[in-house]
Amino acid sequence: MKVRVNDVELDLAPGTSAIDAVFAAGGDVPYFCSQEYMSPIGACRMCLAQVGAPRKERDGSWVMDEATGQPKIFWFPNLMATCTTQVMEGMVIDTLSERVKTAQNGMVEFTLINHPLDCPVCDKGGACELQDRSYEFGDGLSRFQFDKRHNEKHHPLSDLITLDRERCIQCKRCVRYFEEVPGDEVLDFIERTAHTYIGTADPGLPSNFTGNIADICPVGALLDASSRFRGRNWEYDHTRTTSMDDATGAAIIVDARTGRIERIKAALNPDVNKTWIDDGTRFGHEYADSPDRLTTPLIRRQGKLEPATWDEATAFIAERLKGLSGKDVGIAIRSDSTLEEGVAAMALAEELGTGQLDHAPRPAATLIGNQVATITDLATADAILVVGDLTEEAGVLDLRVKDALKGVTPPTLMPHGVPIADLRLKEHMPRQREILTVAAPYRVDLMRHAGATVRYPAGGEAAFFRALGKLAADANALLGEADEAAAGMSTGQARALVARLAAAKRGVIVLGGLALNRRESAEAARALVKAVGAKELAVGPMANSYGLELLGVLPSHERYGYAGMLDGAKALVLSHLDPAQDGEVAERLRGKDLLVVHDIFMTETAHLADVVLPAASVYERDGTVVNLEGRFLPVRAAPVDAGSSTDLTGVARALGEAMGKRLEGRSVRSARRVLKKRFDIDFAELPDHGLLPRAKSRGPVKALAGEVAAGTGNVLVVPSMARAEYLSRNRHLAAAVGGNRLRVNPEDAVKHNLTGGAEVRLKVGGTWRQAVVHVTDGVPRGLMTIPSLPEQPVGLAQADLAGIVVEQVRLEVAS
Amino acid sequence: MSDQVATAAKPAPILSRHDPRYEVTMYRYVGVEGAHTLDFYRSHGGYEAARKALTSMTPAQVIDEVKASGLRGRGGAGFPTGVKWSFMAPPDGKPRYLVCNADESEPGSFKDRYIMEDDPHQLVEGMIIGAYAMQMTFGFLYVRGEYYLGTTRMEAAIAEARAAGLLGKNILGSDFSFDITVHRGAGAYICGEETALMNSLEGLRANPRLKPPFPAAAGMYGRPTTINNVTSLTSSVHIINRGAAWFASMGTDDSKGTKLYQISGPVARTGVYEMPMGATFRELIYDFAGGPTMEPKAFIPGGSSTPMFPWEDRFLDMPMDYGTLAKNGSMLGTGGVIVIPRDKCIVDALYNLVRFYAHESCGKCTPCREGVGHWLPRMYQKLVSGLGRPEDVALLESVASNIKGNAFCPLADACIGPVQASLKWFRDEYEYLAANGKSKYAKNDWWQA
Ligand SMILES: Cc1cc2nc3c(=O)[nH]c(=O)nc-3n(C[C@H](O)[C@H](O)[C@H](O)COP(=O)(O)O)c2cc1C
Ligand code: SF4
Ligand code: SF4
Ligand code: FES
Repeated sequence: MKVRVNDVELDLAPGTSAIDAVFAAGGDVPYFCSQEYMSPIGACRMCLAQVGAPRKERDGSWVMDEATGQPKIFWFPNLMATCTTQVMEGMVIDTLSERVKTAQNGMVEFTLINHPLDCPVCDKGGACELQDRSYEFGDGLSRFQFDKRHNEKHHPLSDLITLDRERCIQCKRCVRYFEEVPGDEVLDFIERTAHTYIGTADPGLPSNFTGNIADICPVGALLDASSRFRGRNWEYDHTRTTSMDDATGAAIIVDARTGRIERIKAALNPDVNKTWIDDGTRFGHEYADSPDRLTTPLIRRQGKLEPATWDEATAFIAERLKGLSGKDVGIAIRSDSTLEEGVAAMALAEELGTGQLDHAPRPAATLIGNQVATITDLATADAILVVGDLTEEAGVLDLRVKDALKGVTPPTLMPHGVPIADLRLKEHMPRQREILTVAAPYRVDLMRHAGATVRYPAGGEAAFFRALGKLAADANALLGEADEAAAGMSTGQARALVARLAAAKRGVIVLGGLALNRRESAEAARALVKAVGAKELAVGPMANSYGLELLGVLPSHERYGYAGMLDGAKALVLSHLDPAQDGEVAERLRGKDLLVVHDIFMTETAHLADVVLPAASVYERDGTVVNLEGRFLPVRAAPVDAGSSTDLTGVARALGEAMGKRLEGRSVRSARRVLKKRFDIDFAELPDHGLLPRAKSRGPVKALAGEVAAGTGNVLVVPSMARAEYLSRNRHLAAAVGGNRLRVNPEDAVKHNLTGGAEVRLKVGGTWRQAVVHVTDGVPRGLMTIPSLPEQPVGLAQADLAGIVVEQVRLEVAS
Repeated sequence: MSDQVATAAKPAPILSRHDPRYEVTMYRYVGVEGAHTLDFYRSHGGYEAARKALTSMTPAQVIDEVKASGLRGRGGAGFPTGVKWSFMAPPDGKPRYLVCNADESEPGSFKDRYIMEDDPHQLVEGMIIGAYAMQMTFGFLYVRGEYYLGTTRMEAAIAEARAAGLLGKNILGSDFSFDITVHRGAGAYICGEETALMNSLEGLRANPRLKPPFPAAAGMYGRPTTINNVTSLTSSVHIINRGAAWFASMGTDDSKGTKLYQISGPVARTGVYEMPMGATFRELIYDFAGGPTMEPKAFIPGGSSTPMFPWEDRFLDMPMDYGTLAKNGSMLGTGGVIVIPRDKCIVDALYNLVRFYAHESCGKCTPCREGVGHWLPRMYQKLVSGLGRPEDVALLESVASNIKGNAFCPLADACIGPVQASLKWFRDEYEYLAANGKSKYAKNDWWQA
């Protein structure tokens, strides 16, 4: 469509908004209410412009302007909000005339009459849309001589978000966000006219995705409570990187100041998280700044761990290794280590000549299926089956499923980026719930949005998929009563689901950890994927689970895997793993000839170690991860002060030097030379939004069983957005999510004499877990759930329910 | 010239209630004891139009009849009703809604109220006809919260009609089914704006919605919806009863039929008068309302949001139709005429009005929320309390012009139009007040806050 903006002629797709036409033409109009990926509503009236268009005669020819010989332009009598105006053939948009300037100036003036202008003490100062636009389009003086509206300046919307009601300019971005993006309608305007303010009906913001409103608020009204008053925008170092909190690889910006992380914000990756992240990703960083971070190596001397230099520590290790045969050594790294760290671990294993190499946690089944969907596939799917709790396990996927429910495809990027006003998006859009089925053994949040839900008995993933597989093979098959009970569905339900998946052109089956932790369920799931012609997205347990499997940080034989080496190896090098939380394992670790622990805190295992090496947290590494769709994503270190800690490549360098070797993964650069050969990607130049290589370049995948979950148990270990291993050090997040929740059915609570809010300790497997009791009918009778740990992955486990220790009884606020 | 011959051959249109051919239709039984019952309504020819439509006309024929009648929406904007009805997509088996807008909250408007209180079955019948024409599956009646008697009468009438088979399944033995739910508003003027009304009905905050999509494409719950004023629907009863030609025989070129005009302010007989469109203000004010009881200086022609006219013959003799008022810089609106006496300061009068709009702004868009909702009332307060300065008049004018035409919905302009008109005709009163700290006229307690 031909459109003219001031003097620039453009050819734009039909449906484009006038504001995007203006920006595409290199022009500018101010805007406060429009927001990428959300519905345009025309509320702030900042984007006004003079708009005209030619008209057609009845015979279809243009009405001509006699003076110019061109089609005559009919101007709309009023200025138009360009965000809610669609371009038309021949449209003319004027943003520079006096009339437009007067209006813009007028709107700035109206916006400011009730704004407190407390920029000098506002966290948004220096990065505030209102500040910038007022300078650009305002008059610089106010003609308003009356009192401004006064309102609450520190209203805690939740433990994570503080609202300044005076600063709010009523743009409605936050309100629309909750309804349109996560679909959690927890915020709205209260009152009307100039008294209008933002608020909730009940205290708190019950949603896993609340922090995004602090990013999109155009002013300093909504602020991240964990970083309030901690710095001015120009003092922060902004590091754009990839979140290592889950397997989705969301884009984030880490803001650090004087060597510590102050806040995390969402960044744009149109193919992954758009501009949204979950609260675990945003607020789950406080642990990295914990005062008990390890900053120097420690060596055990006369039974006591004492500070040492890196040279001393690595010399000590090299010396001890000399006395051991290489294959007695086991090396295990956590699954959120970077590819570069994986190379370092592999180089070390090779140097020592051991096949006892692994990354953990690693599920029983491979993550690299034959028909891996992309996240965009998921967001544009016409049938979706989710098994597990996506909201907790991979928040970004939860949001992208909700995109699919809207049935609006991701917008085409424009010269200025994501369209500012995508007119296909509306407030309160009808959702195609019928395309979504969610299955889990307990009530998961995404079920609220699903057309159909299935609650199968815990541990019944294989039965669930087999039942569906049976109907996929023969639509007329009948499930017996026992099969129906095991699968949690009637034959009719199963048949309908299979029919929907089979009929879909873009079906996607999402396999959460519960479906992957036993081989038979993963196999049954993949048989279904194949039978119905869908694609799959397997949610790995950690940020680089896919990448480390792809790279091959794997044992030479199943029995040399992580579990095996804890038993069999005489010496262990463990990076970010804490197996000694399990008392029995701790016993075995005491008998090792050498235990080297690379971690950020004095974990249970570190206490048993001979050498402790201070590690870089996930925010302090340069490297690469591969997300669950197989996308290579760059990870960049934020300038954080963490003493002499380093990542595994640093360990490889130091240890190599002590052994007189130049190991391949001795630096990120050297590791990347190896990776380049392997993947043919220039890792130093990896674009921000990552790279998704063609499926074929993935290379051979070793089929090796990882951690196999028990088939029975009384506690279901479940994924949690708030990572349990760090929650006690993540003060704000812990308050918001209510601690590590032991979720208990009301009847079981009575039976075990547990009250909501009580702080308890219980032994799950061999590990003592701290938890807060949460009584809910969301879990079935006879089953409790507890958040997973890297060392206690999702799946069934046996807990000693008779031995639960109640440490403190607290009143729980009803939720 | 043949045109003129043809026109001459047609009988002259009925333009006055004094025309012997004219008779009252919609308000015939308003004020009659017991007229609100089904028995009364039926024994006076009630539900015959619905029967005629449902049993002897196709939906398309009903729409054509309403189109031919020239009926224009009586809610204020005056959009041709039959044309609006024809915008609905053909039925697809899924829900589609008729919404009757009985929010009637505009100062100066009170015509819908008495229909609902005294002749509720007329509205039920109108809704049945509209619903049949557009093949609606369900109806909502959104009643202004303060209309308690109207609400109970409508609820009772709907229950009676349902019991008599006039609502519900297979109405009057036809295969058309339709029912109505009454919803009582909570006292917000903006709920009369059709998209805010839908939000309110859906349980959402009453902010106007973006158009497009228009209600006919995606209205209530995203389904096709048509919203009509009470008297647009009741007019259709008489159009079906007596035929489009009867309706079109009254009125001017662009405005047909009869309309309920309301008059308030210092006149002898305030109230609602049913008149043919095209009757003049003078006829309404002097012949029917008995003339002003105080010396007048201005009148508002069609409800508080329509710009006022000074009390001059050229305006008093205007026909009360859509086109004439638009041409003269105002609007017919709801036809609620308000007379303003000479001895009341116009700034006081406007302060009263501005306070109303400031209170009723929904808060969605910036110029209305901040300008109408916050700044304007304070500027007026400053003026009327005698603290104004001469330059305040120009400032007021400038702020008003920054709002005008720039807001999201018509509510802001509904405030600014009258403000600007008062400045246009009575600027001297503003200037006098700003310069002297007191009005030309004695203080009065008419519009105390
Ligand atoms: C602020 C505002 C208030 C309104 N209030 C009413 C009202 O109370 N009753 C009404 O019928 N229409 C009202 N309208 C007009 C409606 O939006 C709509 O045009 C009308 O109900 C359509 O019905 P009609 O076509 O039968 O006139 C209002 C419009 C605005 C902008
Ligand atoms: S709090 Fe911020 S995002 Fe929400 S309406 Fe106010 S200004 Fe907009
Ligand atoms: S003009 Fe704006 S604030 Fe005023 S009522 Fe309409 S939408 Fe609401
Ligand atoms: S009205 Fe706010 S951006 Fe257009």
